[in-house]
Amino acid sequence: MSTTVAIIDYGRGNVRSVANALEYCGADTIVTADPRAIDDASHIVLPGVGAFGDAMAALQSRGLPEILHRQVFDKRKPFLGICLGMQLLADRGLEHGEHAGLGWIKGEVVRLEPGADALKIPHMGWNDVVVKSVHPLFAGVRPEALTFYFVHSYHFRAGQSDTVLATCDYGGPFTAAVAKDNMVATQFHPEKSQDSGIELLENFVKWNP
Amino acid sequence: MLKRRIIPKFLLRDGRLVKYTRFFDHEREAGNPVSTARVYNDYGADEFIILDIAPSEESRRKVLASIAEISAQVFMPLTVGGGVRSLAHITDLLRAGADKVTLNTQAVRAPDFVKQAAQAFGDQCITVSIDYKEVSPKVFRVFVDGGRERTAYDPTEWARRMQDQSCGEILITSIDRDGTSSGYDVDMVARLNEALDIPLVVSGGCGGLQHCIDAFSAGASAVAISSLFLFTDHSPIKLRSHLVSNGINVRASKSSRN
Repeated sequence: MSTTVAIIDYGRGNVRSVANALEYCGADTIVTADPRAIDDASHIVLPGVGAFGDAMAALQSRGLPEILHRQVFDKRKPFLGICLGMQLLADRGLEHGEHAGLGWIKGEVVRLEPGADALKIPHMGWNDVVVKSVHPLFAGVRPEALTFYFVHSYHFRAGQSDTVLATCDYGGPFTAAVAKDNMVATQFHPEKSQDSGIELLENFVKWNP
Repeated sequence: MLKRRIIPKFLLRDGRLVKYTRFFDHEREAGNPVSTARVYNDYGADEFIILDIAPSEESRRKVLASIAEISAQVFMPLTVGGGVRSLAHITDLLRAGADKVTLNTQAVRAPDFVKQAAQAFGDQCITVSIDYKEVSPKVFRVFVDGGRERTAYDPTEWARRMQDQSCGEILITSIDRDGTSSGYDVDMVARLNEALDIPLVVSGGCGGLQHCIDAFSAGASAVAISSLFLFTDHSPIKLRSHLVSNGINVRASKSSRN
């Protein structure tokens, strides 16, 4: 069966590069907010950059939380969240006030703290990732290739440690990837992480949970 | 740990890469943007910056076409700028495949525009590019319109103001050093690093591997490089291994597959 990835378009972020990278991995892609197109797809990617509350409002105005819920929980399609698309899975986000998230993976999204080292915020650039458990997304990726491109000012504080798939260190450990059932999500941008990211996207396209 | 970044930076005029000295002198042709981006992707550059210096409608169209072509083949962050004056133009660049957009002249003309852009597209998406010159000993001023127009702003003061407007990153370019290979303005890097809470990319003057070490030691998050890569036999691979052996935390190598 051929893989068609629906990349959810809610008017936020650079969805083109996500589509380009997935096509490079051999998948067909469709950038869409249309329920039928999403229903026809075998895989779902929720990308996104920008602010938490604004993005949730944009999803809601298109009726996407319900549409996606059905695809992920009833049809159990493989789902990948990227960056803000991972953060939105949390119960709530504390960026510019408090906003409810999708609530699919327990946790909340809080600001990175510059700490004693006066670290620059956003956390922007390439950083090493430590994978905590075996997951098809990271299958075959060599340990020395686990360096990915991040750009974010907030992070996902997981409510249940068993959903934390990978961590990264920036003034202390933070969640770099979460996973639960047919959902997986990364704080970093695989579509911008050269060969390391492409390997992850290839794994996602092949994933059949 | 977060790695320091190596960023090839290229100027585009009417669809071709070009390189000058101190912004205006000694134009040199530097090749095709798409094939150049591909080469630097293969070299494992950490990002790529492209600035359009002929912001005509025609040049803008060519840049959008180049970005679309580059982003279909090259999976690293792309920062694009030059002549960006409107939210609609930013949208066009992002749709074409840019990840970050630089604002320069328009930030001076309408400082609120930076805030509007950051709100519309996210802080991380907006880089403010600051070109500056030493106008009298130890006195620095921001220049806009491709280095043609002097403003009343001191670069450090201006960078802080832009940070307050919520941009995600500052790119500074010393006009005095641009294309001279005489080394980065490390005093300015140190001053800005002290003044800013957001990442700083330094540009202008890189002519050797030691210059990058100097810039990182002064606190730069990233170095932007053009002459060194375009006109010498140095590549990001060589620079990277030199930096690693000097204790600078950069990606060890491109994670190429066998």
